[in-house]
Order: sequence, then C-alpha cells, then structure tokens
Amino acid sequence: MESIYVTGAGVVSAIGVGKSETLASLRKEESGIRQMKYLPSIHRDLPVGEVQLSNEEMMQMLGVSHNPFLTRTALMGRLALREALEQAGLAGDKLNEVPFISATTVGGMDRRELFYAKEKECDSIHAHALISTHNCADCTEMIADYFGRFASLSTVSTACSSATNALITGANMLRCGMAEMVVVGGAECLTMFHLNGFNTLMILDHQPCRPFDRDRAGLNLGEGAGYLVLEIAASVKKRGVQPLCQLSGYGNACDAFHQTASSPEGEGAFLAMQEALSLAGLQPSDIQYINAHGTGTPNNDESESFAIRRVFGDHLPPISSTKSFTGHTTSASGSIEAVFCILAIQNQFLPVNVNWHTPMESGIIPVMDPHPQTEIKHVLSNAFGFGGNDSSLILSKYDA
Amino acid sequence: MMHDMKRQQVFIQAAEQISIQQPLSEQWMEEPIRYQDLLVKAINPPFRDYMSPGEVRRMGNLMKRALVTALKVLEETGIEHPDAIITGTSIGSLDYTEKFLDAMVENGEEALSPTYFMQSTHNTVGATLGIYTKTHGYNTTYSHGDLSFDLTLLDAWMQMQLGKIRTALVGGQDEMSELYFSLLQKAGYVGLEGMDPCGEVAMSMMLNCAESPENLCELAGISVGLLSSADQLKDNLTKMLDEAGMTMDDISAVMTGVSGNPANDQTYRKIIDAVFQHMPLLHYKHLFGENYTVSALGVYAAAHCLKKGVVPSFLYDGQSQARCDQPKAILLLNHMKGKEFSLILLKKI
Repeated sequence: MESIYVTGAGVVSAIGVGKSETLASLRKEESGIRQMKYLPSIHRDLPVGEVQLSNEEMMQMLGVSHNPFLTRTALMGRLALREALEQAGLAGDKLNEVPFISATTVGGMDRRELFYAKEKECDSIHAHALISTHNCADCTEMIADYFGRFASLSTVSTACSSATNALITGANMLRCGMAEMVVVGGAECLTMFHLNGFNTLMILDHQPCRPFDRDRAGLNLGEGAGYLVLEIAASVKKRGVQPLCQLSGYGNACDAFHQTASSPEGEGAFLAMQEALSLAGLQPSDIQYINAHGTGTPNNDESESFAIRRVFGDHLPPISSTKSFTGHTTSASGSIEAVFCILAIQNQFLPVNVNWHTPMESGIIPVMDPHPQTEIKHVLSNAFGFGGNDSSLILSKYDA
Repeated sequence: MMHDMKRQQVFIQAAEQISIQQPLSEQWMEEPIRYQDLLVKAINPPFRDYMSPGEVRRMGNLMKRALVTALKVLEETGIEHPDAIITGTSIGSLDYTEKFLDAMVENGEEALSPTYFMQSTHNTVGATLGIYTKTHGYNTTYSHGDLSFDLTLLDAWMQMQLGKIRTALVGGQDEMSELYFSLLQKAGYVGLEGMDPCGEVAMSMMLNCAESPENLCELAGISVGLLSSADQLKDNLTKMLDEAGMTMDDISAVMTGVSGNPANDQTYRKIIDAVFQHMPLLHYKHLFGENYTVSALGVYAAAHCLKKGVVPSFLYDGQSQARCDQPKAILLLNHMKGKEFSLILLKKI
C-alpha cells in the first residue's frame, strides 16, 4: 500500500501521562496496576490500571473550569490528543482539513451510572447533560471541541478492538484520497458498569494479571487514551515534519465464534494478522516484535498463542503483552499499545511481559529481556474485541 | 479520490426494515401507518418464522430485528457471506444496558447476571451477524449519534473504492426505552407536541459493486463533515457531484430529516434556503419516527422510490411546492445537532 506515516502520538494510561513517563515506566518495568483509588466501586479487592489523576486534576491540567458532566473518557482523551497534535504541529485552522476518528464503548457511562438512580425525577438541564454523555459520539465531540474544528468526526465502537478499527477507518480515508492527514485513536475510562460486567463473566484476576502465564486467572481492567496523527507522504514533505514511524499494514476479521469468547483455533486473529502482513507486503520473518492482545484470561491467551503459531510457525519473534503494565484499557487499548510499539521502535527496546513466571502448555513464551537481538524494524500489534471483532496493525521503523 | 484510482460504482442491491411501519414490507408506500403517540415501538414480525425458540428467548429485540432484516437481505441477494458487515447504532442495546444499570441500583454491585452485560456493547449486532452467518470478513461498528448509519455507508464505499471488498451488509439499529425517551423528551430531542413520533429502527441493506437490473439504485456518493456554514456543505456537495459526473440539475429531490421539532428543523431550513431553494423536498420521519439511526430508513425509502420510479405524495415536505414525477436521483441530507452533516446521493439505475 501507499506510504502512511505517524507524525504525532499521545498517550495516557496507568503508567504515565505522556510518552516520556510511559517510556520510563516501560523501561523500568514498573507496572501501573494498583489498588483501586478513583473508581467508587465496592470491589476494592480487584486491582486496576487507573490513570493516577482525579477528574478535577485533569480539568486543571487542561485549564477548563469544573464541570461534573465532563466525562473521564473525554478528559483522558483530551490529554492524549493534545500531546499528539502538539507533536504533529497541528492546531487551529490546520485541523479544518483533518478528519477525527475516535473510539470508545463505555463512553460517558461513568457519568450516567452516577446519576442513574435519580434519572426519573431529573430536570431538563440534567436530562440534557445526561443524554449528552451517554452516546459514544458525545465523548468524541467533547474531546474534539477542545481543540477546534476538525473536518469531520466519527466514532468507532467494537469493544476492545475499537481504537485499532478507528485507525483502520482513518487509514482507508487517506488511501481513498479523502484527506492528507487524519487523527485516530481511542479513549476509555473505568466504570462500575463494565467492571461489574467483566466481573459477572468471571474473567477478572484478583491478583495483578499474568498474561501468557500458566497460572493466569483473568484480566485487570485499565483505562486511558491514545491518539495518532496519520499523514500521507506528500503532506509530510509539504509540512516538513519528521515521521515517528510508518503504518505499513492492518487487518480486520471476524472470529464469528462467540459473543464473549475466542475460538480455540483463533481464526479471526489469524486472518487479521495475515491480512496485515499481506497489505504490508511483509513475511512473518520480517516482524521483530509482537505486542499481543494478551489480556491474561485463560481463553484469550490460549487462542491467541494458537493463532500466532499458525501465522509465525516455530520461529516466533519476541512477544509480550503490555496489559501487564496498564491492565486492559478496552476500547483504547489498540491505540495506547500502538504508542508503546512506536516507543519500542524509536528506542530499540522490547517491552517485557511483567509478572510472567511459568510457561503455559503449548503457549507462547513472552519476552523477558528488553534487549532486542536484532534491529526492531517491524512491529505487529493485536487487538481483539467481544464478538470476535479482531484487528491487527503493523508499524515500521522510519528510515529517512 | 486519488487521481490514479478508477471510480468503482456501488449499488444498493436490497434493503429491508423493521420499524413503526409494516415490517419487512414496502406497504408503507401504499398505506402508511400514522401515529398520534409520542413514543411508538417497532412492529415486530413473528420472529419464530426466522429463528429458533431459544434464539427468540435469548436475544434482545434490537438483535432480533437486526438479524431478521439481515437474513432477509442475504436471502434476497443470495449472498451467504458478504465481504464486510458494518453496522451503525447510537445507543446500542439500550434496553440491556439499562437493565444492567437497574440491577446495579437494586442489588448494588453484587449478584449481577452477565446476560445483559454480554449483549450491551454497541458491536453486539455486527458481531452476532458475523457469528450467525459464519462470516469472517471485515466487521466493524460505528456509534456516532445521528450519523452512525451514514458512516457505515462511508466505510463500505471507501473499501469498495480501494478494491478491498465487493459486497457489504450494512445497517442501522436503535431502540428506545421509556426512561431514555423521558430524558430525551425533557431535553427537547423528541416527544414535543406536533412533532413526529419517536420510533425504533432496524434496517439492513446489501451494497454490491456488481451491476444488475435487480439492484434498487446506485449509491453515487457519500460525504460527511462539520457544519460550520452552508458554504462548507456546498463545497462537499460540489465535490461529490463532480466525482459522480453529475450536477445540481441531476438531483430530482432532496430528502431531509425534518421532524416537526423546531430545534432540528431550523438547521435543515437554513441549508435548504442557502443551497436547495425551489427544489422538491421529501421527508421520512413522519412515517418512520425520530431516532438516531433513522437516516437508515430515509436511505431505504429513497432507494425503493428510485426502484419503483415513484414518489408517493405523502413523502413531500409540506413546505415544498415543487414535485418530481420520475425521480432520477435523490439527495439525502442529515445533520446531528446542527453541528455535523452527511450528504448521501442515490441514483436511479
């Protein structure tokens, strides 16, 4: 496919606000999974990957006055998007030609669940505020409005693969010639709604999660946001900006198996990875690192291991799940982990799989040594969602 | 479009709906049902004719409606596995979402059942369609308010231009609960006196790159943008018409989402005055009701008008004097809160 470059990236998660804090945590192997601090849930025994800021603190950082109806998703989204736009040198009128494609699933549920019990008797002002937070589009709008006027807005919602699918939509816009730049990514805060939802599915680990470990017992939920500025070659040249890396391929496939579980043979994952490689014109042996979906649930890690082996055979590149640092940031995970991959390529290190001890039967053995054996040129990142909405992307080193 | 890209024609091959009109039928073109109520639930077909009793029991209304419309379209087109399944929904499985919230209010955060949560994500419909039809192709979901369905068309359109897919099952679905309706009513979105009723939406259609006399019409263009001024919209329109090799004179009628709600309608009136003066105007929300993805039913209705070569008299907007007896192309105009717009161009084959 024609060249698409990443010229800006921003990230917020449990391991830091911004790329430099994030990089430091990844290199120091310091996980952000902690005891619950901000979410007012009774399940204090469930560790989570919370962004270590209150809503009020984020409002201060953004220089906006206190507003109880600003969703946490939108606040984290604004912080991450601000970093991405600054790096790409985009502001004001320059945004007018740039479509914004954002991903979320729980959106503003943190607000709605807070007021839900009193909804029946709420007045028109509160009703207006509530219906302006429930829709996923409202979070996209809240994030975008802070920066000015984008060319268009769009919200993708495919559960845990949402942000990767937002990136795919944006890349397709560029390839169709609809724009020269797009901003893509996702944001998602923790809510009692989905913490309890995942809890009823009995896939939350009461310990810090251990992706790809024999004794893994589920995932930890996390939160955060990640955004990327994608740009075609002509625009990069015209604007004289420095690409961080190249987006060389992506794939989207449906596992078509079950509403909340992955198929044993990982068909959707297999097809998504295959498609990404094929679009990039790369062989499996060209990939030097895989950032796995690796949630830490028995089902995902087994199915994903199988799918990775189907694509890569016995010659597996280094693989890790950075959800051991951040928890599962659900709709935002695809773009947050894409930023981790960019950091890995730029700084030539492998994010390790913390908390891993014991190999699982016929599972993959994640990388525990951050020093790569060969130059990291191409990185594959997976994101799989409820219902088998599976997507993969490939980011490549930029050689001037 | 990129200069080196050859334009791929895109057709609407078949389209089916379950709404507040007779389900799975075009009876609304002859005998539309009119309502005085402020909130009207969709008329469900006998689901047992299409799925097992277990599935009827297990699935929520939104899912069942989506599945039945999709199965009907697959059957009509003979396409077992479309290259892509793309769905749009604003509030998703609202019913199940609120049931899970109700349980959290009643039981606290304990003794909850996963059933409602599992079907509450916005991609439930798209993913279930994939699972049900064992379709492994591209599968995604847009949840972007009133433009959720419009974005599914844009996505399919782009991938057809890129040569990635040849067929796409696209659709729009939204349901409505009493509680959410009351919030929307208090906020002035629906349920005002004199306004079209609030309805429920399930529409599935097959897009296909293959020409066929059986196709309903051509999807000749789709464009979305932020509505900063009528000029912005005009620019998008000019570009879209240029690429389709058409001019304003080729548009037989403009179909808008006026609903009798002044807050909604004034945006349309402003655009009409600035861009579409003296053109025949059509509307559809008086038949299908107001709800986020109801633009899906607008596209559905316009496609069937083009296929049959008629515009039923009751589709004309009362404010419009002009008429089009033999529609050649219908432009659909949709907006969200006066801030974002979409333009969808349908052309007779």
